[in-house]
Amino acid sequence: MNIDTSRRSFLKFLPLAAVFASIGGAAFRFLRPKLSAATDAWLDVASVSELSGPQPISRKIVAEQITGWAITTEEHNVFVLPAKNNQVVSAICPHEGCEVAWEQNRNRFSCPCHESYFAADGSRISGPAQRGLDPLPARVQDGKLQVQYISKEQATRA
Amino acid sequence: MRSDNSWLQTTTGVVVVLLLVQFLTGVLLAFYYVPSVDHAYTTVSYIEKVVSSGSWIRSLHHYGSQWLTVFVFIHVIRLFWDRSYDANRIQWIAAILLLGLVMAAGGTGYSLPWDARAFFSTRVAEGLMAGLPVAGQMARLWLLGGSEISGVTLSRFFALHVLVIPTLIGVVVVWRMFRAQIAELFGPRDAIAGTLVFLALALWALKHPAPFGPSVAEAGADYLPRPGAQFLWLYQSLKYIPGGLGSIVGVVLPGIVLAVLVALPWLKRQRLIAGSLLGLGVVLVVIMTTVSYFSDRRDPRTAQQFARQAAAEEAWRRQPFNPATITLAATTTKATGGAPDMYTKFCANCHGTHGQGAQQGPLKFPPLLDVSAKPRRSVDDIVALLKDPTAYGLQPPMRSFADKLREEQMREIAEWVVKLRQD
Repeated sequence: MNIDTSRRSFLKFLPLAAVFASIGGAAFRFLRPKLSAATDAWLDVASVSELSGPQPISRKIVAEQITGWAITTEEHNVFVLPAKNNQVVSAICPHEGCEVAWEQNRNRFSCPCHESYFAADGSRISGPAQRGLDPLPARVQDGKLQVQYISKEQATRA
Repeated sequence: MRSDNSWLQTTTGVVVVLLLVQFLTGVLLAFYYVPSVDHAYTTVSYIEKVVSSGSWIRSLHHYGSQWLTVFVFIHVIRLFWDRSYDANRIQWIAAILLLGLVMAAGGTGYSLPWDARAFFSTRVAEGLMAGLPVAGQMARLWLLGGSEISGVTLSRFFALHVLVIPTLIGVVVVWRMFRAQIAELFGPRDAIAGTLVFLALALWALKHPAPFGPSVAEAGADYLPRPGAQFLWLYQSLKYIPGGLGSIVGVVLPGIVLAVLVALPWLKRQRLIAGSLLGLGVVLVVIMTTVSYFSDRRDPRTAQQFARQAAAEEAWRRQPFNPATITLAATTTKATGGAPDMYTKFCANCHGTHGQGAQQGPLKFPPLLDVSAKPRRSVDDIVALLKDPTAYGLQPPMRSFADKLREEQMREIAEWVVKLRQD
């Protein structure tokens, strides 16, 4: 009697469970994240002729990305290191993703969030970050220094 | 309770299931939909064309709202037939309120895709309000949020559709199910304590507006971000923990502590362990929060930067509001002779979009019309003035744009400004 009623009350909700399982299954597909397509465009950073000196040079690059329902154009800070054969490093701190700033008087990059510090060549000095600033693929085309933008996540996976 | 369970009596179950379907599919749509006049149509198209099962979910929500209305109506007819207005007054009133609310939900929902149907539906809603006797114009203005259908109107329909009406439906359902228990929740002391806390918060908020930083594009490289008080412990801890271990301290450990606390009723013998875990957590939070507070105040350079940021925010609060520009025409032609983009970005805020000047409280921002008739206001002068306004005898809030604008951008602005004439 007792077992019978509990079985019946369970069976009673079975069709209802099927209804919501179908919405639940669709919900999983519906909410599944879409990865942003990585852009392989070469973006102008600066003319090679204007890059010199021992100091890292701050530049902005403008990258386009397909993000969900929009094409997002975003500015990213990068640093050109003329002392290191014009290597270009991302300003994104490899720790938690804040943007580092160049401190000229202390000759180092510092992160405004959790006190990670990097040397003028982008290598890690101290702090919670576990690697130096991420270098970006670069090339010189018609006297212009160009880079491909790589996000912190892409750099971490590589 | 009803005695027989005939098929004719199942309207309650159908209404409950359809209500749940509307809630679930509505929540899902809200993960992509954006209630703004320039994104609503795009995001609905994205749901229809790109998102997996998106078309099905939206169709469930669309036709579900129509089926729901029909079944609530049938439910009301059945209750009427059963004379439930005598037998179970609460059930009857709840059903009638529900009928009104699902109709209102449908009406407000039509506007949200911001397609042509939505446009006409919104126009009709506007007309219906305006036609009401006595307070018609007032009702229309309140529904639209202004004298015309605009982005404000869409936000209002959105808030009504996804927040106000579903909450009211929830209240009706909860009231019907638990009305005996609701009264016990609030004793007289609860009411007094709650009111006192609210008064304290209200006074605090009057004195301290919520922080609002510069836009991401305008933030300087020296901007120092800080989290809210409840996260300072985590923020400080992340400084000491290398790399990915931060996620353990910030997410996994608090998760374990919460899980242990949830399991406390069953952990009869391990209460000491659970208690020390909680105590340890409290000590960590208190110490880290205190360290974070003092480390930001000890370093004079950090303190100066915070003072600069506070001053910048204060200056931002004194500036007039800078409206967005929305173009809803199908074909956009850039108006010739309009302001240069950089003027719109940096100057229009204070000097007006057409150089007409602005007034904000006691602050008066000078118009630029006929400015070239004044001495020392040639194109070259204006470019030099943009770099160093004090050299031209100008006072703050006019500031130097040498670090914001390139030479050719200043020249473009100057060449446009000298042509401004008083009509």
